[in-house]
Amino acid sequence: MTNSTRIRRLFETPILLVALMGLVALIAVFGDPTITRVTVQALIAVVFVAGLSLFSGNSGVMSFGHVGFMAIGAYTTAYLTIPVNLKSSMFSDLPEPLGFLATIHAPFPIAILVGGLAAAALALVTAPIMARLGGLQAGIATLALLVIVFTVLNSWTDVTRGSSSMIGLPKSTTVWWAAGIAALVIVIAWAYKKSRSGLQLQASREDYLAATASGIAVGRHRVFSWVLSSIPVGFAGALYAGFFTTFNSQTFFLSLTFSFIVMIVLGGYLSLSGAVIGALGVSVLQEILRRFQDGAFTGGNSLPAGIADLILAAVLLFVLVKAPLGLMGTGELRLFRKRSIGSAS
Amino acid sequence: MILQIIVDMVGLGATYALLTIGIALLFGILGLMNFAYGEIIMIGAFAMYLFKDYPWFVGVLAAVVFAVVVSVLTERLAFRPLRNADPVTLMIASFAVSLALQSVMRMTVLPRTQGVPPQPFLTESITVFGIRVTVLQIVTLVLCGVLLGGLALLMKKTPLGVQLRASAENFQVAKSLGVKGSFVIMSAFAIAGVMAAASGIILVARQGAVSAEMGLTPLLIGIVGAVVGGMSNLKGAALGGLLLGMGTGLLEATLPTDLIAFRDAFLYSAVMVVLVIRPQGLLSGTKVRTS
Repeated sequence: MTNSTRIRRLFETPILLVALMGLVALIAVFGDPTITRVTVQALIAVVFVAGLSLFSGNSGVMSFGHVGFMAIGAYTTAYLTIPVNLKSSMFSDLPEPLGFLATIHAPFPIAILVGGLAAAALALVTAPIMARLGGLQAGIATLALLVIVFTVLNSWTDVTRGSSSMIGLPKSTTVWWAAGIAALVIVIAWAYKKSRSGLQLQASREDYLAATASGIAVGRHRVFSWVLSSIPVGFAGALYAGFFTTFNSQTFFLSLTFSFIVMIVLGGYLSLSGAVIGALGVSVLQEILRRFQDGAFTGGNSLPAGIADLILAAVLLFVLVKAPLGLMGTGELRLFRKRSIGSAS
Repeated sequence: MILQIIVDMVGLGATYALLTIGIALLFGILGLMNFAYGEIIMIGAFAMYLFKDYPWFVGVLAAVVFAVVVSVLTERLAFRPLRNADPVTLMIASFAVSLALQSVMRMTVLPRTQGVPPQPFLTESITVFGIRVTVLQIVTLVLCGVLLGGLALLMKKTPLGVQLRASAENFQVAKSLGVKGSFVIMSAFAIAGVMAAASGIILVARQGAVSAEMGLTPLLIGIVGAVVGGMSNLKGAALGGLLLGMGTGLLEATLPTDLIAFRDAFLYSAVMVVLVIRPQGLLSGTKVRTS
């Protein structure tokens, strides 16, 4: 392989994906309000799924707990951006050490950043556990993390308002914020995938024993990618909060987790392009299904609630059976077809 | 007072043991962490609602039939095409099955929570040595005892039990020695269905209501119990469930009231710790690979 093809190989996928984000943003700018809403939702999903793929794609460990990080990002944004005078009436019973939450205020970009860092703090606390677990045990542990975050958010009503909604967030997430952060996260995820740590982690995904025998400290790389992947997911939470302006503890639980899992599995969880395409595709599919359920294609007769979920579940099962590695498999989006493996050296 | 707590704890422990067994049985044989198990329980409970105007044994019988049929159907339609998939793929597939069953129920017969008045005789209570015991608690204990004992007998004494245990030990070798793989797996799903039906019946009697979402709590309890006890070992799983139930009962009796809402957070933190320290479960002797 010549030097120029190597460089092209390294940069063409992220450039294509970032260009795709730009294209999606343009659709949102020139589309009607409904299209704008769907596209921004899709871009937020891209931020989440690209972040999740940074961990799951490289380590091969599926995480069901990332929605917990998203919740942290969303709640952080709520504390930072809800107007102070409204906050003092919303949180009248804040326990003493957290009293500062009622008075702090920050602009939206800072809130996004702090949301990501807050998620990373939780990831850091749970990192020792993720370093030691793989496969099904890791799946259950991450699910346990989700349940813990949910239980705390749902029960600590003085601080989180529990199942009553957070209200009064200013609508801050614009198309450009969503597309910009999505592009940034794609670049970070790609850079990690091609980094030394990312490659070693992928080696452990292919063969754990061989990787450890070759002197790869699998646990250390898992910890690093776990913490790194929580930051974009925290961003996604902040964008979600700034876009919908209201949410409660129930928002960030199993059904949201399920739709993100459908996205990453459908696209192909070992491939960053797959994750991005899956997020865009499933977001559009979900919108179509929602319309279908409301009767848009059956002459206004709304169908029983739940049919959208049923179809989504059926799609996921079909993909798992027919193409367990998703649409993209282990491949990435490229301009030119990949040459045969023999010539790569 | 202490005796009263112990009686309550044992009742809860027996219920939890039943939940755990259903999860552990399928995990041992297929490596399937079945998230759709909660929905099988819900189907059983729904049968009790459907036949609530008939004598109680009609509802019980229907619950068992419904749960077994749906459990076997999920195997046939969803899990059989994925037989050689890795455990995480199976777990994601069971997520999908769980959502599909929930949506079907919500679309058709259970759009909202429905009340099921419990049988009047279940709510009566008797007092022995100063301890109040409801008939429901006694029924629960007897039912769990009979089912767990029956399962133990089945596993130890019958040809099917031997085949089930052989398949759990090593599915490929068992198959090459003449065990009919599909038949064994189907019977495992059928047995899990019976367990789920019993759990559903107890749950309906306790809560007095059924809803499409009711499966989640018992499912999570079953998974936690199985993780704590040792997932591929039925005896360990049953003990794990029992311990979990008794622990929960103890927490409820002793935790200060403002912390009870956080009970699950404590419980799941303990699960994560157990996973790290003893991934094979607290009560299981064999080692498992974790990565």
